[in-house]
Amino acid sequence: MLAAPWICRSCARSLRSAGVPRLLRRASTIATLPPALVERARKIAAEHDKLTTALETDFDQKTAVRVGETSRVATALREFEKANASLAELGSLLESNDAELRELAQDDLESTQAQLADLGRKLSVALTPKHPFADMPCLLEIRPGPGGTEGRFFADSLFRMYKSYCDNKGYPTRIVKYDVSESDGQKGSEGEVALQEAILEVQQTGAYGEFRGESGMHRVQRVPATEKSGRTHTSAVAVWVLPSFPETPSTDAESEWDNPESDFYIDVTEVRVETMRARGAGGQHVNKTESAIRLTHMPTGTMVSMQDSRSQHTNRREAWRLLRSRMAQQKREAREELAQNLKSSVLASSQITRGDKIRTYNYQQDRCTEHRSGLDVHNLPNVLEGGEKLGEIFESVQGWLTERDIQTILAEEQAEAAPKGKKGKGALP
Amino acid sequence: MPRLRPSLFWTARRDISPFAALLLRVCRDVPSAANELRWIREHIALTSSPAPPKFRLWKLCEKRAKGTPLQYVLGTQPFGGLEIKCRPGVLIPRHETEAYTTELAQILVRHQPSSSTPLSILDLCTGTGCIALGLLSLLPSPVHIHGIDISPTAISLANTNLHHNTRLGLLPPQPSSIHFTPADIFSPFLLPFLTQPTWDLLISNPPYISRGAFARETARAVRNYEPRLALVPDRDGETAVLGCASEDVFYARLLQLAGILAPRRVFFEVAGIEQAARVVDMVRGDARLSGFYPQVEIWRDSPHEEYEMQRVRNYEVPFRGSGGARGVYLCRHDQR
Repeated sequence: MLAAPWICRSCARSLRSAGVPRLLRRASTIATLPPALVERARKIAAEHDKLTTALETDFDQKTAVRVGETSRVATALREFEKANASLAELGSLLESNDAELRELAQDDLESTQAQLADLGRKLSVALTPKHPFADMPCLLEIRPGPGGTEGRFFADSLFRMYKSYCDNKGYPTRIVKYDVSESDGQKGSEGEVALQEAILEVQQTGAYGEFRGESGMHRVQRVPATEKSGRTHTSAVAVWVLPSFPETPSTDAESEWDNPESDFYIDVTEVRVETMRARGAGGQHVNKTESAIRLTHMPTGTMVSMQDSRSQHTNRREAWRLLRSRMAQQKREAREELAQNLKSSVLASSQITRGDKIRTYNYQQDRCTEHRSGLDVHNLPNVLEGGEKLGEIFESVQGWLTERDIQTILAEEQAEAAPKGKKGKGALP
Repeated sequence: MPRLRPSLFWTARRDISPFAALLLRVCRDVPSAANELRWIREHIALTSSPAPPKFRLWKLCEKRAKGTPLQYVLGTQPFGGLEIKCRPGVLIPRHETEAYTTELAQILVRHQPSSSTPLSILDLCTGTGCIALGLLSLLPSPVHIHGIDISPTAISLANTNLHHNTRLGLLPPQPSSIHFTPADIFSPFLLPFLTQPTWDLLISNPPYISRGAFARETARAVRNYEPRLALVPDRDGETAVLGCASEDVFYARLLQLAGILAPRRVFFEVAGIEQAARVVDMVRGDARLSGFYPQVEIWRDSPHEEYEMQRVRNYEVPFRGSGGARGVYLCRHDQR
């Protein structure tokens, strides 16, 4: 970290932009779309083509899902390469002897380059893996940081901001929790109440993908309504964004059993079925009444046995039902644990401080600063009403997240390529 | 039978009920005695009778404790989703039969040529009719099923079972054509009955226990209470004519019928691996039959789709499932 205790904002920003490579901006020229990324895209596109032909001959659920995942990259790459080819063609035209032709090519060149830059960005976005929960609805949890009522008032402002943003966008929402500290009885400057904790569920598919950049510390700088001497206070509000899992349907959802996406799905080949009957002669020689069935899911070792009914058929059905719901329960628990880890990785409860803020709302300067993407937005009231200015901030955060993902991919590609290169050298005669 | 420790009876008496101690004589272990007692109690709760329930419980438990099969005591045995009535004089359906019937139904559904032509099934030695009715409940209608048994008691019970299960709503209300006919499969007059041009399946659970095995290997409840007619082939005349072991005489006749009728698929229940091997030999040794049925499989107690090749006597045969060898499956087409 920097040794200086305080740095003015413009200096800090210039320092940061020097340190962090801006990939999206560099992607505006072809030369800078890293070859590793293009290589990765080609690999995925090749896989896509292979799977598509495989799918024509026989249909397989898993393959179909994979084809759907990779089609985004394949399409983007195809368009990108087409633009690249036309650019190369233009380059050759530029060297031609015909002056008129050169002029025409020069005219086209700029638009093609712009198009190529756009396609390159699309390609890199397509390459970034989708967040596993991106398609889910989400829960926004808002909690004020330590401090007085000022933070609580601002927490309510934030809550209203998200609520009205969703209303403006037409997303259905549900207030899961809205705890107000009754003791104060005061109101903020805009009629806010002192919020202790609020949870807002955004019941829109893909809401998690849109809102996940919001989790973190939001800082406010303003003169509170309760302040008499007119000093600016700084307080903080923490926001968590968690994926919201749909409730398990109360019915057994038998139709879901064959769907590999469903919690209730079990690969039948992974289950060992045992009828618990004594060995020895069977068939007509003996007349056993035992009808017990034992199912063992081998990967997890989950065991279910059922012997209530005289009918083996019924026991088998019940055992499968029980095994399915146990497995679904396990899967769900694992997922919830993952979400829990996500929560603690985003922000530990003890970490609610003014330090690692992601955004600052400064009332005096009518300014909202997004610290990660380095975006300054004026017209704070519009932001707090959840208007288009907030939308701009969301977009910039999305851009920042994508950029970070691309860098992760690049690092992965480089790490993968490095040992291969060494091996290649060693193999040469 | 090894002697049971007296402590087992005390445990059953103290922990469950005096009736459980009574049932322990035949059940031989406490958990299964507890299970059977529960089933007897359920049966009493579900059926009505002028006698007081406690008396009925005592009567039924005593009957069971003397060795009568539970299915004869309660009068029913579940088979797939059906409830098959059981009466003395007719063989009780076994779990293994249920397992291969279910598997066969799946194969028939998978390879059904078209949904409009009804599947035709010939069930020889049908007994309670469990296989025929089980297939009827598992296959999409329309299905044409013909069940044949030598015993008039069995035929009347099979018809009772058809009506009983239709009334319970376990079978489609308008039964696709299903008949049960009393006939001897060794009779030369049998063939005119079987007028179907091509049967999709010939299935049979014939008597297959040798006299020696009946005396030594069968369970007491089977030997003393179930009909010998359904268990042991006492067909000395035909055995001499067909020239095979006395316990295999039904297979010799069934294969003769298969050679004439040429059904698309054939399934026979067998006693174990030796008998299965002998039946495979009979098929492979007959030029006409091995021409009809390029595919011969041995199915184990719980058949499923995967198979492994194993050498049985002179031939490599695919084995399906797990457990002891339970059946021989022949298929006319190369599709599995």
